Amino acid sequence: MKDEVCAIGYRRLPPRDARWAPWPIARTALALAFRKRSVKMAAALTVFVVFMHAIVVVGQVLVAEATSNDSGEVPISLGAAVVSQVIGKVHGTLSTFIGVQLHATALLLAVAAAGLIAEDRRTRAFELYFSRPLRPIDYAIGKALVPLLLSFATLVLPLLGLFGLALGIAPHVIADELWPLLLPGLLGAIACAAVLSATLLGASAVGERGRTVGVAFVLGLGALGGFANGMAESGVRWAGYLGPLRDVQTVMDALLQAGSPGIMAMLDLRESTNDSAWISAAVLAGISALGVLAVVLRLRKEVRG
Amino acid sequence: MTVVSPRGSAGAAPLVSLRAVRKRFGSFTALHDVSADIDGRAIGLLGPNGAGKTTLIRVLLGLLAPDGGQALVLGHDVRVEPAAVRARVGYAMEGPDRIGGLSGLESVVYAGELCGLRRRAAILRAHEILDLVGLDDARMRPVEEYSTGMHQRVKLAMALVHDPDLLLLDEPTSGLDPESREELLDLIVRLRDGEGPAVILSTHLLHDVERTCDACVIMHQGQIRFSGPLAQLKAPSSRSFEVELDGDANAFAVALQQYGGVMAIGRRPGAWVVTLAVEDARTLWWAATTAGVRLYHVQRHEASLEEAFLSAVAASAGAA
Repeated sequence: MKDEVCAIGYRRLPPRDARWAPWPIARTALALAFRKRSVKMAAALTVFVVFMHAIVVVGQVLVAEATSNDSGEVPISLGAAVVSQVIGKVHGTLSTFIGVQLHATALLLAVAAAGLIAEDRRTRAFELYFSRPLRPIDYAIGKALVPLLLSFATLVLPLLGLFGLALGIAPHVIADELWPLLLPGLLGAIACAAVLSATLLGASAVGERGRTVGVAFVLGLGALGGFANGMAESGVRWAGYLGPLRDVQTVMDALLQAGSPGIMAMLDLRESTNDSAWISAAVLAGISALGVLAVVLRLRKEVRG
Repeated sequence: MTVVSPRGSAGAAPLVSLRAVRKRFGSFTALHDVSADIDGRAIGLLGPNGAGKTTLIRVLLGLLAPDGGQALVLGHDVRVEPAAVRARVGYAMEGPDRIGGLSGLESVVYAGELCGLRRRAAILRAHEILDLVGLDDARMRPVEEYSTGMHQRVKLAMALVHDPDLLLLDEPTSGLDPESREELLDLIVRLRDGEGPAVILSTHLLHDVERTCDACVIMHQGQIRFSGPLAQLKAPSSRSFEVELDGDANAFAVALQQYGGVMAIGRRPGAWVVTLAVEDARTLWWAATTAGVRLYHVQRHEASLEEAFLSAVAASAGAA
């Protein structure tokens, strides 16, 4: 059926207040992303990771409590060995969670957000955006909200949830000893979210196709991490700073040591870390800054010609 | 150069005010000291490919920073207040630009939200505007599936959704079949004659300007060659006449040359266009007497837009 022009008339609009421009950009990008099956599958993977770690945490806390009651007597207090064992295992689980979820989140961001800026370049959508009363900073914030919200939802919130779960089901004496694990874990998750978001956005600003950017991002992250760990274990210690996850673990351990010096002795599993937390923090900040710089340069080139 | 056209209240700022605007891309100068006041309800921005029309539009929107001069749009300086300009201007660009994955409706809603409309208001407005531009059931389909005509309608809707005061259309009929083109031009005329925004139509198609605009700006090689009402551009010349004769036309042409005149084939069958060297119509009869021909129809020649356009471009090129 052929479309016909209908003479309905043109209506003037009343004056309106300014609204926060980045939110429609972020919401539309998220809605478009979740129409893709690959994004739903990647999101399901991150949920699965959370679920599995939650089971492990529950098991670790409950098994420890059950072990202490094997004698059949109701213990007045749990022994220091049991407390230490639980703290160590929970810390190990939370650390493992951050490591595994970082990779799952990277996969999610690669399919959901790799084309945020790259596809706008390819389809010449920049003119569509900037012929509106939109500042470059609004565009950048709107696009940045997408990976930040996704990684916040897959890293930070679940970490808080796992910690809260352990805290909620553990006996009081164990719960009191768990608190020092919160801040390092939370900051580690936030650092992972920030680094992943900034580097993905920077890669999208440089690339020209979303799919290419996504593949390069995931492979690059994996290769960099593998290279960093391998070289560091072989004695080339400086190479360890190239691995983002290794840097995050270094900073987390440093915070843990600073907050509760005695807790390090309780830890059951410790990921490989670098020698200097300050250098690791600087590397993480530098990687993030490079991503932001790439976005700034792209916008300057596209907006003002 | 100033365009004087009836619009709005007396004393209101012109739509666009340009003062010595310059823009270079490397060694290529796209805009040479462009100066004009552009005002009216529908203005055609005419010029061949590469004349600087799109560059000028991008400067007006603040998408390109001029290398010199000043450009005011609706009273706002494009360098100082680019956001204010874009809040009051709607722009439909050339080419199939789109935000991938969205339907026509979603694209227009998104455009409305980016211009500050609340989501619900943007949805209602998008449906209104899509009805206006004639995109019915297809509005729910992804824009990747659209024909060229549908793309143009969506782009026009995206430019109108936030009720701009000025609409900039860059080659809006490009790639359209004749029927779709006439429908789009009809829509522009309705906007012009109704409550719609003022329109600046950038095109190289003279017919589109003649159909929809009451004033025009002619650009060539980065300069404005003419700026004024269409009637002024096509005004009958005091030295140009359309004649019909009975006799040897070649002899009449030779006789005219003796008086400095030239003769060309006219638009109507059997008609000739005579351009004299001086503003003296008696030259026609002198030449007719010399050639032994009889003139039975003489009237002042009103140039077509094409003739006027070519004349304006050639005259300025010669002066340059």
